[in-house]
Amino acid sequence: MDYPTITTITKLELDLDALIASVTLPSTGAAAIFSGIVRGKTERGNAHETSYLEYEAYQPMAEAKMRQVAHEIRKRWPLVEGIAIVQRIGRLYPQTPTVMIICTAEHRDTGVFDAARYGIDRLKEIVPIWKKEVSPEGEYWVEGEYIPKSGE
Amino acid sequence: MRVKIFFFATLREYVGAKTVELEVPVQTTVAMLKELLVNKYPQIASTQKSIIAAVNSEYAADELLIPTDAEIAFFPPVSGG
Repeated sequence: MDYPTITTITKLELDLDALIASVTLPSTGAAAIFSGIVRGKTERGNAHETSYLEYEAYQPMAEAKMRQVAHEIRKRWPLVEGIAIVQRIGRLYPQTPTVMIICTAEHRDTGVFDAARYGIDRLKEIVPIWKKEVSPEGEYWVEGEYIPKSGE
Repeated sequence: MRVKIFFFATLREYVGAKTVELEVPVQTTVAMLKELLVNKYPQIASTQKSIIAAVNSEYAADELLIPTDAEIAFFPPVSGG
């Protein structure tokens, strides 16, 4: 059967309840959810405050790569039923959810936790989205470290 | 042939445009196009080592020959989430 796969880039507020509903089937008994949130105060490493983050995406490629991440999740965790990968873009202030990854399955011992973790880790490697951090001290583009291989 | 190039994040700011259209010879590779851009926009030279290329929405190796009517994008390592 076809399981729901939601991959979206949006400027709108993320609606967790609606998103869970969109990947919940009659057989679903577990949902693992990761959400990234704009952190206003950073203690770890270079301690600083953040005024807001400005996200931009290469939209058609980003949505294609999100579908690829979902496909990779299904290959690794075949018991996962629904997958939602949603990134909000634009100007986002502290305490605002920026991204949601949801993996559902019949039970919690199906790999759903690992699947959601893989989803966010992989998004940060291959989905072309960037954020500029703006703080009272100035602004800079956050850059990842991963260089994707050809065809990845 | 004519190619359309998209820039994102730091590269967009360095170049000062979201897109640029260029006339390039057939048999141009990704590496050659990168070289051409660095000559045209010396301000991106410092980031050259970490410039990622995508051709028609797929990550592309330096030696890839650019197909006609390709949509090309250059950008820094991604930082979504």
